[in-house]
Amino acid sequence: MCNAHVRAPNRILEMTMVTNVSPSAVDIEQLRDNVKSKYSDVATNPEEGFHFHTGRPLAAMLSYTAEDLEGLPESAIESFAGTGNPFSWGRLRPGEVVVDIGSGAGFDSLQAARHVGPGGRVIGVDMTQAMVDKAIEGAKDMGLANAEFRLGYAEALPVEDGSADVVISNGVINLTPDKMSPMKEIYRVLKPGGRIQIADIVVHIEVPQEAKDDIDLWSG
Amino acid sequence: MLDNAGFVDVRMGEQVDVFSGSVHESSAKNFETFGLTIFGRKPGG
Repeated sequence: MCNAHVRAPNRILEMTMVTNVSPSAVDIEQLRDNVKSKYSDVATNPEEGFHFHTGRPLAAMLSYTAEDLEGLPESAIESFAGTGNPFSWGRLRPGEVVVDIGSGAGFDSLQAARHVGPGGRVIGVDMTQAMVDKAIEGAKDMGLANAEFRLGYAEALPVEDGSADVVISNGVINLTPDKMSPMKEIYRVLKPGGRIQIADIVVHIEVPQEAKDDIDLWSG
Repeated sequence: MLDNAGFVDVRMGEQVDVFSGSVHESSAKNFETFGLTIFGRKPGG
């Protein structure tokens, strides 16, 4: 039997970043496959239309300025699917090492690479090959040698311990069934005194466990 | 959760109705779903 809660769309499930973080019982590998499929579509057919906003309209909604977007490749902008603006906490500093979890087509990573300059470095991590490929091309288009992109998971970042000054992420951690796992990874890769500037989703009405455990509601 | 992970100086930014006008706007409203930004720091340094 369905109710309004069980009909919750994906990306609204178990996004309680701040409050309730009870893990879901979904099969993590199946969930990853479903999410990869969805975000491969966002990478390769961004004009298709999704249940969440994307691209320039979303960037404007999240207070990215025209200056922020100037010079970014259209390939990075069109596949943007974030939920906030990590740079609202401040521009990143020259020389900093940045890890971007769920870097997608590079929308935030490429901006971060401009912030930190040639003396800094950005490591984008994404589990969707199509997104990683697109981000690498975007960095090439911009002539950025300080941005690299790696295939990997938020729960097992392919990044050395204590190597990052700042971790950014935008609308990604909500897609992991156990939120503590990526948080522990973020803590691991940060240097002492390092910071997080992340954007994600919060729900104020608890999602029923039966909905959390229904994988079709995560990535449908 | 962030506190439990060891972060300090945790702060939340303004909430944004990121699903406004999207296909699932009404469902998002059912759960009072918003985008937000979060700042935190690893102790030390």
